[in-house]
Amino acid sequence: MAVAQNDIHYFGIRHHGPGSCQRLLSELETLKPAKILIEGPSDCSEDIQWLAKHGMTPPVALLAYNAEQSGSSLYYPFAEFSPEYQACLFALQRKLDVAFIDLPVAIQLAKPEPQAEESALDDSEATLEKSDQEPEAKSETEEPICSDNPLNESSEISKDPFSYLAELSGYEDGESWWNDFIEQNSDNQSLIFELIETIMTELRAHTEISDRDIQREAYMRLEIDKARKQTEGPIAVICGAWHVPALKEKHTLKANREILKSLPPKLTKSKVRSAWVPWTSPRLAVASGYGAGVKAPQWYQHLWRHRDNPQSLSLWLGKIAQTLREKGHIVSTASVIEAVRLYQALAVIRNKPNVGLEEVRDSVISSVCFGEELQWREIEQRLLLGNEVGSIPDDAPLIPLLEDLQKQQKALRLKPEALEKNLALDLRSSAGLTKSILLHRLTVLNVPWGKITDAGNSRGTFRERWILCWQPEFSVQLIENLVYGNTIELAANNKLIEAFNQENQLSQLANSVQLALEAQLNAAAEVGLKRIDEHATHTTDTLELLSSLSPLISIVRYGTARELSLHQIGELVERLMVQAAVSLPYSCRNLNQEEAIHYCRVINQAHQSILIAEFEQDLMSEWWSSLRDVMALDSADAQVRGLSARLLYVSEKIDADRLHILLQRMLSSSVEVSESAKFFEGFFDGVIDRLLFDTSLRKTVENWLIDLDEDVFVEFLPLFRRVFSQLDAMENRRFLDTVLNGKQNATRGTTPDLSLTDSWTEHFTAVSKLIRRDTKWTQNQ
Amino acid sequence: MGNILRQPAELSFQSELDILKSEDTGPKPSNWQLSPQAVVTYLLGGKSPSGKEISAKYIGNRRLIETAVATLATDRALLLLGVPGTAKSWVSEHLSAAICGDSTQVIQCTAGTDENQIRYGWNYAQLLSKGPSKDALVPTPLYRAMESGTLCRLEELTRMGSDVQDTLITVLSEKMLPIPELNDAVFAERGFNVIATANNRDKGVNELSSALKRRFNVVVLPLPNDLNQELEIINQRVAEMGASLDIPVPKNAVEEIKKVVTIFRELRGGETLDGKITLKTPTGNLSTAEAIAVMVGGLSQANWFGGGSLSAEDISSNIVGAIVKDPVQDKVVLEEYLETVLKKRRDFADYYHNINEVL
Repeated sequence: MAVAQNDIHYFGIRHHGPGSCQRLLSELETLKPAKILIEGPSDCSEDIQWLAKHGMTPPVALLAYNAEQSGSSLYYPFAEFSPEYQACLFALQRKLDVAFIDLPVAIQLAKPEPQAEESALDDSEATLEKSDQEPEAKSETEEPICSDNPLNESSEISKDPFSYLAELSGYEDGESWWNDFIEQNSDNQSLIFELIETIMTELRAHTEISDRDIQREAYMRLEIDKARKQTEGPIAVICGAWHVPALKEKHTLKANREILKSLPPKLTKSKVRSAWVPWTSPRLAVASGYGAGVKAPQWYQHLWRHRDNPQSLSLWLGKIAQTLREKGHIVSTASVIEAVRLYQALAVIRNKPNVGLEEVRDSVISSVCFGEELQWREIEQRLLLGNEVGSIPDDAPLIPLLEDLQKQQKALRLKPEALEKNLALDLRSSAGLTKSILLHRLTVLNVPWGKITDAGNSRGTFRERWILCWQPEFSVQLIENLVYGNTIELAANNKLIEAFNQENQLSQLANSVQLALEAQLNAAAEVGLKRIDEHATHTTDTLELLSSLSPLISIVRYGTARELSLHQIGELVERLMVQAAVSLPYSCRNLNQEEAIHYCRVINQAHQSILIAEFEQDLMSEWWSSLRDVMALDSADAQVRGLSARLLYVSEKIDADRLHILLQRMLSSSVEVSESAKFFEGFFDGVIDRLLFDTSLRKTVENWLIDLDEDVFVEFLPLFRRVFSQLDAMENRRFLDTVLNGKQNATRGTTPDLSLTDSWTEHFTAVSKLIRRDTKWTQNQ
Repeated sequence: MGNILRQPAELSFQSELDILKSEDTGPKPSNWQLSPQAVVTYLLGGKSPSGKEISAKYIGNRRLIETAVATLATDRALLLLGVPGTAKSWVSEHLSAAICGDSTQVIQCTAGTDENQIRYGWNYAQLLSKGPSKDALVPTPLYRAMESGTLCRLEELTRMGSDVQDTLITVLSEKMLPIPELNDAVFAERGFNVIATANNRDKGVNELSSALKRRFNVVVLPLPNDLNQELEIINQRVAEMGASLDIPVPKNAVEEIKKVVTIFRELRGGETLDGKITLKTPTGNLSTAEAIAVMVGGLSQANWFGGGSLSAEDISSNIVGAIVKDPVQDKVVLEEYLETVLKKRRDFADYYHNINEVL
């Protein structure tokens, strides 16, 4: 029943290498193995069958997670051009035995490391190593985390020895190196894998092998041995090239077991789950938390899809030109031809037998982008990373985040529906609050299932109105958040924390803190508050300070249902307010029109918040005196001065006499008309109805308007129209009446119409009955 | 050599070119003196096939030089862009020296350059006595380069008027210079090409028309992106220039260069090297070339007026001259930099005092 040692064939591959993939397939074709063993977690072998199911489109990833400990999970991404994926397909299509042989996830997840950082590292390592799909990605992710680790280099080599070799020989991309060195140097199929083995043996001899690799290799040897005893016919072992020499070494059973003794005990089967999840092509490349990818997944995909097409390069260049054109750049065919000539010349100069990714890039920058690297960068991401999303069959097992969502949807009786649906929530009831929290958390996770319709006011009232509408891509967007955690709450918290750490704008931070509180993400909110605290000291931009005030004040006013210490926010708000008040008079000078409008909006908004914040008297006086300074400051922008004057006047901080003096001065003929107009706009914008009942104010304005020269008046007509059109039709008529007939006919509009006296009495009786709640009253009476 | 102040590249580096030429086995494009690989080695330095040392002429991104050489090998014209002082002309000179052994076919483009200086002029005495003929033509460097199949350099291409620039279009695309007066044309020999340089800081001087621009492959030469690279460049150039001007370079020059480069990089980048303090940037662009000029100026001052060793005093006035291009604005920038940054650094104390004095 057993297979002879020499009928076990080892294929050292380059993870995610299209070239390697192609070679592997043709080799398998000749070998016709009875069983295929692949480097991957051995307890997930059952999941392999899903790969051939209808509806499974790469990129997909195998996710294994600890069901009881959120946040501990491993990913094994598979792309179309991954040798492992193609090998699985090969086996499944021919109904061959196929199995994973690497350390089981049950052992890998058993590691006692609750700290977030460490687990992230392990995850990334696992992602790459086990999946063995993403060599480059691995090294990228690891670098920032453990750059001070001396073992780093060796672990990087082991993850993608080809990229390491490529770098040594001056290549930027492992695939070009593979093409130039491996493919070119041997026409004989089987020789290639021997060649690779020789290279790896040499490389291993000069590198320190990590404990982890030693353990994994021992485990794989055991598994291969087990398979050997059960199978008849040739066995193909497919693993990262790095491991081949070690797997071929002869070790006794005992020695292998000895090595494995140091491993932590397996988790029980019930704790470990695995599932396929859709992956995205950028995720194959971006170092995103768990680490991922190759440098240019789309380029590899292109190489794979057009592997037999001699014009593959021209096609790629055509794609580049098209992408550039879509971005609005003019790319002539002539320039593209020049780029082709240039990359051929470049390959010659660099002594490369083939044109690679770098040559194409350099030539495109030089002949198509006029030397501007920026233009290339603009399309680089889209071109190299793409935006493809994989899919999994509908009946495949669910992944934790979706599971969590479905559980909550069931509990809250919220069904995902594609058609828009309105939902009104009462936040006083626990059901309403929970729903609101869920929807907010999903918003944080970039799954906008619900859109809030009265955004900004939600804390001011206990009602929230949402429009619900589920889109199919939301599941994918939700799944992308798996990097942040296994449950919706955890993922939302982590995602927001990450956002906080990258955000430097005070106002954005404040808004996000508000969102965190609404979504009841306390951990994130605390981080956010800390960040605001740090930033407040260094911010000198008045606008920033002012615009951060409103969200923070509304947290203080309405957010008290939360368990968070609001005392801290209170202090913060006071500090920010004082800072803003101090800097305001200095910052509102030399503004252009757009800036002035922006300033007015922000000041107005902050003012409204400050009014409801109920600050102590002396704090408020800071604000008032700041506004007073602005109002009195000749060098300040006239529009902002107008606004300040209005805010003070409305709050009765300056009396009517003072205001009139100011108005007269600002609107007098000695002041530039444009200045007066700006002041006028600042003062009356939004509150022109004041003129209806404030006679002296009206008179000042009237005098100013009458004094204006006709052409100046015409010039400012749009402004007046804008300001006065804020009156509704009724007010407008009253206003015109008052102005036009002011002196003699002030009461004209209210002269009683005697013919109505009779019916009036009737109405009066009816109304009083109504007031007394006389139910017998009807319209006819 | 004799009394010539500065020899062209092909003479000052003749020995290196000879070594490369004798050992070059790679295929050469027609009329090239060296193979493209050897040209790259000449520019970037390294070892000749037999192991002889070749000095680096350009320190920086290898990719850029490879692209430039590859461009010239395809018969497409090369445009070197960059802010002032990024070694555009330097690269262009060495490229022509290495490729055709002659870097002197130069047209310096200015606002006053007209078509006659690009295409050909007329010898009016000949013209009047014998009528229009090829003998009455006065060839320009471009004309000669086309005839001999060599390289022509156009310096500061964007300085000349757009109408004049556009005379190049036919030359670049059809490799032919029409002479309508004689119903004749000059057809370029193989090996002819054009290297133009232009400054992309003074935008809008005479922006290249897009028709002309797309006839060039463009290589943008950047400012050095790290301190060590810039130090290397300046050390090397200061030593070379010191030698050619017969000024001895004192031992402490390397340290002083490091300090000057630090000041330049911080002001240019708008923040201190450790990224902790944000700074205002002066109006000039403080290129590497200016740092070299400051150092050479300092050396000369130290040599003729100082005790032979380089001190902050010798360099400071040159630094101020390089940084303060706008007497009001830049002075404020420099003063702020002195007070907020240099004052706190003990090893820059000399500079702090001396620069303050000059200001």
